Amino acid sequence: MQDSVHILQQQVTQAFNDQKPLSIVGGNSKNFYGNPLDAQTIQTTCHTGIIEHEPTELVITARAGTPLSEIEQALAAHHQTLAFEPPYFSSEATVGGMISAGLSGPARPYRASVQDAVLGCTILNGKGEVLRFGGKVMKNVAGYDVSRLMVGSLGCLGIILDVTLKVIPETTAEATFIFKMKPNQCPAFMNELRHQGYPVSASCHFEGELLVRFSGGNNEIESLNKSLGTNYAYIDTRQLHDSGFWLDLKEHSLPFFSLDKEDADLSLWRLSVAADTDVSSLIDAQTNFISEWGNCVYWFKSNSQSELIFNTAKNIGGSASVFKTNNDAVTNRFQPLSAVVSNWHKELKNAFDPVDILNRGKMYVEF
Amino acid sequence: MPDTKKRRQLLEGLKSLLDAQYILSTQEQLKPFECDGLSVYRELPLVAVLPGSTAEVQAIIMLCHDLAVPLVTRGAGTGLSAGARPHPEGLLLVLTRLSKILDINPKTMTARLEPGVRNLAISEAAAEHCLFYAPDPSSQIACSIGGNIAENAGGVHCLKYGLTVHNILRLKGFSMTGEEVVIGAEGLDSAGFNLQSLIIGSEGMLMVITEITVNLLPKPQHTEVLLAAFDDIATAGQAVSNIIAAGLIPAGLEMMDNNAICAAEDYAHAGYPRDAAAILLIEIDGSTTNVEEQLKIMREVLNNSGLTALKIARDDNERALFWKGRKSAFPAVGRISPDYYCMDGTIPRKALPEVLGFITALSDEYGFLVANVFHAGDGNLHPLILFDANVPGQLESVEEMGGRILEKCIEVGGTITGEHGVGLEKIRQMPLQFTDLEISQFHAVKMAFDPDDLLNPGKNIPMLKHCQEYRALSRNLEPNRLLTQHKTVE
Repeated sequence: MQDSVHILQQQVTQAFNDQKPLSIVGGNSKNFYGNPLDAQTIQTTCHTGIIEHEPTELVITARAGTPLSEIEQALAAHHQTLAFEPPYFSSEATVGGMISAGLSGPARPYRASVQDAVLGCTILNGKGEVLRFGGKVMKNVAGYDVSRLMVGSLGCLGIILDVTLKVIPETTAEATFIFKMKPNQCPAFMNELRHQGYPVSASCHFEGELLVRFSGGNNEIESLNKSLGTNYAYIDTRQLHDSGFWLDLKEHSLPFFSLDKEDADLSLWRLSVAADTDVSSLIDAQTNFISEWGNCVYWFKSNSQSELIFNTAKNIGGSASVFKTNNDAVTNRFQPLSAVVSNWHKELKNAFDPVDILNRGKMYVEF
Repeated sequence: MPDTKKRRQLLEGLKSLLDAQYILSTQEQLKPFECDGLSVYRELPLVAVLPGSTAEVQAIIMLCHDLAVPLVTRGAGTGLSAGARPHPEGLLLVLTRLSKILDINPKTMTARLEPGVRNLAISEAAAEHCLFYAPDPSSQIACSIGGNIAENAGGVHCLKYGLTVHNILRLKGFSMTGEEVVIGAEGLDSAGFNLQSLIIGSEGMLMVITEITVNLLPKPQHTEVLLAAFDDIATAGQAVSNIIAAGLIPAGLEMMDNNAICAAEDYAHAGYPRDAAAILLIEIDGSTTNVEEQLKIMREVLNNSGLTALKIARDDNERALFWKGRKSAFPAVGRISPDYYCMDGTIPRKALPEVLGFITALSDEYGFLVANVFHAGDGNLHPLILFDANVPGQLESVEEMGGRILEKCIEVGGTITGEHGVGLEKIRQMPLQFTDLEISQFHAVKMAFDPDDLLNPGKNIPMLKHCQEYRALSRNLEPNRLLTQHKTVE
């Protein structure tokens, strides 16, 4: 537990004066995500500790360097949890990294995203100014919503110092059912389940099977066997104690996610689309893939040129990103932006970090 | 109207862009647009226009940009912070004619809308697919989705279903230079910075929005509405904390004090107990089994929280009636007083007894009756201060009293506005919530999108030169920094 705002502020101010770029590092759990940086590191792990947790307010505030595991343990002690199931990718993962990366887990379409849960944050901008935005209440529309802007900005706009998050009560029971189903049948089926009032909390299609997780009250989950069995032909169930699949999916520890090092150009791609999108132009029948979030996200591997994948993704109304790659030389990892939006990004970067020292080029090489 | 060169150029330019009947320029034509729902702030624009297509919107924006004319966008005009009050040297862009529901897609559970679509009309149209749009501000019968985006509107179901920002997938519109922009995507993620969150709630100061894709939700299988009465407002406040501590997240959790109860009951005949000091209105929804489980726990919690009476709505009609009382609380109070001033601070729930006690003391000090309606689930207070604007000095006193309530909200760790926006109304309190550095950062954000400061200038973010002056007028000289003073927990 340590407040190191002044140390971090000094480092940024020095870098601002010297115009020397900084690479922001927390637990270093997601260093594969985004472009590699060649810059002096600034460590946020010295700035740690839960500042406040008010269980009856459904709010927790923690410093950026606080291990994510510490947050989840503190919440679990009060039967609470983070709605968006953040992936760790290493036990060292921190709260600051979670916000900067902005990655949500399997529950995202049914509960919340990272940005949905952010109520406020304190940041250090590129001039070394300590700024607080948002607050610790559920509703707050004073000024622009800069706290949520920080989510997924990969440290390009500021160093997160602390963040306040909305939390939710844990559900008491959980079960996973497995259905034999083609990928294109999934969206309609998932819709039907939701319309029927089933408490869906995650879904994933993998190797010809659709796995659906349900979370709710004890009676509600117990009654699923009967009601789902009557209405649908499921082939298997996995109860709460056997929920390892969702953890493996979230943490990318399923064998599918590992990249064969033999292929120096191979990348793991993530495609985000509307649930009813025909993705066959990008992912053909031969391609091994995983879809989750009710077919709103697809994971696949490819060694094709990034531009090719970006163009196809754009044509089907989606966006693609290189999630991790064997090829460090790949510098266009995120879907290109339109001219106006790209210009807004540059101007925003300039507004927060006028001498361009914070994670320069981490998201897009131009800023 | 002043016959300035700029006004003549503007009118001349507009003539070639849209039909003359949609260009309003005389005093009589402009009068209905002089204010939004906060009618104490009034101003006539140079001209008001009602375009009927996005192409017309784009052309109007380009004209304003070329002539350097400030542009204020207006929806249904129900806003409560003067965010859509016209600029005296500007154009008022009224988007009510863009009111088409472009598409409802039951497969993706989304709707594509023009900005003038009324909030309630979305759920009405989605009902045939058993879907609904969750954010439901009390003005939902009239307010439009474009305005909801501008203010990040909330409603009575925010605790479970979130605010506008949680229910939007994609925005289309124009930059102040007239270039077409798409923000967000039809999927759940989009590339780049999270601009959507920044634009939602930005009070029309970053771009003009002409198409919105919203997320729809399946209608819950089962709903129950409970009305719990208490003989003490602090006990009711504690009951709210007990509900949350029991792990329940009701779809709605509202509180009203006795003044609000009586006004609403007279108006809506909702069956509220007139003798209660406070009532909680609680909605639980979900699958039938789940609602049964929640209801059992809820009854236990309420019974152990010192309630004096509990009613559970018998059927859909009674459920609707219970809500009608709450949703019509503002007009109901409007009937018993010539004017009322509606505040919108949000506080941590635990501070409720302290803040309500403070408001009662202020009510005595200033001699104005206050009716409190409160989104108890998410800590959003709406004290309605009753006054008569025709009595000289009353408006100024009410504004001062309102300012002190907002200062109190900040002091206990809350905010000056939960869902109504800053607009012009709360701009004096912004320097109490934010430091000069933070306000400068807001200005820098604005400049990134609108370097000529033409989109709704003068709203939301105060000029730095006024900040010290505003702070000096209040008792606090610097923004409260409660958060850092909180004890850290081991």
